Amino acid sequence: MKTLAVYSIKGGVGKTTTAVNLAFLAAAEGRRTLVWDLDPQGAASFFFRIKPQVKGGGKALLRDQGALDAAIKGTDFEGLDLLPADFSYRHLDLRLGKGDKPRQQLQRLLKPLGRDYDLLLLDCPPSISALSEGVFAVADALLVPLIPTTLSIRTLEQLDDFLREKMPKDAPQLLPFFSMVDQTKALHRSIMQGAPEQDLQILRSPIPETEEIERMGLHRMPITAYAAAEIAAASYRALWREVKFALGG
Amino acid sequence: MHQTTPGIAEMSIPPKLEHAALIDAIGQLIPAVRESDVTLSRRFYDSFDWRLFLAGASLEWRFSEVAGTSDSAWSPVDARPPARPRLSWRDLRKPHAMPIEQPLESEPGLLDELPAGPVRDRLAGLLEMRRLLPMVDVISQQTPLRLLNEDEKTVVRLLIEQNRFREPNSGQHGVLLSRLRLEPVRGYAEAFEQAREVLASRLGLALLDESMAQEALVAAGHRPGQYSTKLDQTLDPDQRADLATKQILRGLLATLEANIEGACQNLDSEFLHDLRVATRRTRSALSQIKGVFPESLVVDFKARFAWLQQITGPMRDLDVYLLDFPDMERRLPTVLSADLKPLHEQLVRQHLEAQRQLARELRSPTFSQLLRDWHRFLDEPVSATETTSPDLQDSPDAPPKQALWPIKRVADQRIRKMLKRVRAEGRAITKDSPPEDLHELRKSCKKLRYLMEFFQSLYPKDRIREQIKQTKLLLDNLGRFQDTAVQAQHLREHAESSAGGETLPARTLVAMGALISQLLRDQAQARATFGEVFATFDSAENAKRFKDLFVAHAHPQGALSPSGSAIAQGESQ
Repeated sequence: MKTLAVYSIKGGVGKTTTAVNLAFLAAAEGRRTLVWDLDPQGAASFFFRIKPQVKGGGKALLRDQGALDAAIKGTDFEGLDLLPADFSYRHLDLRLGKGDKPRQQLQRLLKPLGRDYDLLLLDCPPSISALSEGVFAVADALLVPLIPTTLSIRTLEQLDDFLREKMPKDAPQLLPFFSMVDQTKALHRSIMQGAPEQDLQILRSPIPETEEIERMGLHRMPITAYAAAEIAAASYRALWREVKFALGG
Repeated sequence: MHQTTPGIAEMSIPPKLEHAALIDAIGQLIPAVRESDVTLSRRFYDSFDWRLFLAGASLEWRFSEVAGTSDSAWSPVDARPPARPRLSWRDLRKPHAMPIEQPLESEPGLLDELPAGPVRDRLAGLLEMRRLLPMVDVISQQTPLRLLNEDEKTVVRLLIEQNRFREPNSGQHGVLLSRLRLEPVRGYAEAFEQAREVLASRLGLALLDESMAQEALVAAGHRPGQYSTKLDQTLDPDQRADLATKQILRGLLATLEANIEGACQNLDSEFLHDLRVATRRTRSALSQIKGVFPESLVVDFKARFAWLQQITGPMRDLDVYLLDFPDMERRLPTVLSADLKPLHEQLVRQHLEAQRQLARELRSPTFSQLLRDWHRFLDEPVSATETTSPDLQDSPDAPPKQALWPIKRVADQRIRKMLKRVRAEGRAITKDSPPEDLHELRKSCKKLRYLMEFFQSLYPKDRIREQIKQTKLLLDNLGRFQDTAVQAQHLREHAESSAGGETLPARTLVAMGALISQLLRDQAQARATFGEVFATFDSAENAKRFKDLFVAHAHPQGALSPSGSAIAQGESQ
């Protein structure tokens, strides 16, 4: 099982829409896919029409593999399941922080999922915390959405430094990509043009900011599922091809 | 505490129930969205000896999945990429489990030809050298429905299927049951139970246990799991020996004949192997169940079956050679193993030629005449009791007197005799005995095993199985010794003949030399353990078990056995 975390320190950068669309594409190709909606806001759960609710909350999940198995729900799409969000996840940091080895705790919890799934997609809450450190430890790659601004490039560099320092040997692969791109904005264009020179290895497929993506909230399903012909859907497909390649097929 | 995922439920749809009416009725009971119809064509596979069926699995190649035009509104969830042909594995013992799938563009066959993937992983342990054969095609007209909850979220999947089958070889075809299939969505067990109950009670649909795979196989005229090379003839202890022996031989003939076509076409190497085993057993029965058929007949058929064994030999040798090849390569260091490639290429060429030759022989008049004569002999009624009158005894075609003995008596006597021979030959083997002595012992041991297998229905099941097992342990040891010797011998012959016509490069000959020395080392190891293995076979404990099982008949000339059992009564007639 490959584990892919969609992660950003900032909120509102297109994290959940990316997670949901890539998960759909992966499942449509026959990969048994699980999305864990780790964000207490529950946006991914909302897109799949699943109640953001887990019996016993995050506490039960961390304690007991059975609770995790029981909490998983099938989505409308074959081969694509969801572990829903729960409002109690806002304390997940503290719970992981309390244990003596937060990383191992998360690793132990996720390992048995490898029997049922080929791909685990973690939709992370925006923050840097004990939970994110646990995520860094279990993920094969971090998919980081970047709005093309000076500040987000700087934040990416900070994340890169943090990983190099904290996990010199086993850091997850960093896969940044431009998100919510508005080609009419000069700043967006100039940041994106300058990116290759900065040695940041940003993926080549940007995701545009479109009304279609915003309307996903009305349809409550991945855009790649209901409007495959849209430009946005094509962008997600291109991004998925790159991510797949980076993960080794 | 855990929410368990319920199983898939299937119900049969009565032929008179219109599917459109059924869909309407479902929609009135449960909120549902209809998706576009799909025409799914799939082909079910198994090996000739039903390895997948016997392991509780089914394998289908979904080679075409076409979205049909449906009058329903276009549903966004349909917008998937067109389905590619794929191989789908189901564990029939876990009907609720999702099928395991992998893409596959062309028809499956041998394991070696299958690309890596999860289905291949599952087949690897089961299939070995056997080819996947097409058993039946099923063409399904499917109408998928999604049952929804109040959030318009899919909580149960429902499939209405109209199914037809077609036997790929004969072309025979027909209609199968129409099925309504309910598939749970993970985490919505309650909704699934409700849907199942509502549909069963309100629509009066009956639950189905039989899988479609099984229904289709039977409809196409297959008998899944029926083929077996086991000797499982049920004999009556009092039956006349000649009749009982014919029964055993008819079973062997059925196995032999079942494998002819597969061997001619070389579908896989097991066809010829099974054909040869049936031939060897036939010869063994002819020579070991002594004195039940006229001698002249036995002599004739023994010679003709020896011919069959001989014409199938070269192909089998090459089969074994090629099957063992990966193992031989592994035995050598990587530097040398690559040098074996020219040998492999040469073997493949020879194999092809041997196959052509074999097919010619198996389609020859000599062979069909043998089968005809053998059938006639096995099916013709045996002579009545009176023909054993003294004046006919001298005729070479007359049934010998043992023909009238009860089979149990013949079995006891023959097994005891062969056991005695195995013991004597085994005990005579010392450290200095030549390999031929071990080979002779192996042959006797095989005869003993076959005799016990022919007659196993005459003895308590557990006890005869134990003695067969004990004999097999000895046979395994002798087999390892013999097989490595044969492999080494083949390599040597190959190297020598290579000097003449088809030459092998020097590096290949060097690698073969290294291989021979490896094989001889293995052979020496098997030889070293022989003493111990034989001692176990020859132990007092094992001897007692043999003795208790196979009754001694003190006066084989027709006197009463001491116990006055059924055997004795049979003899007194």
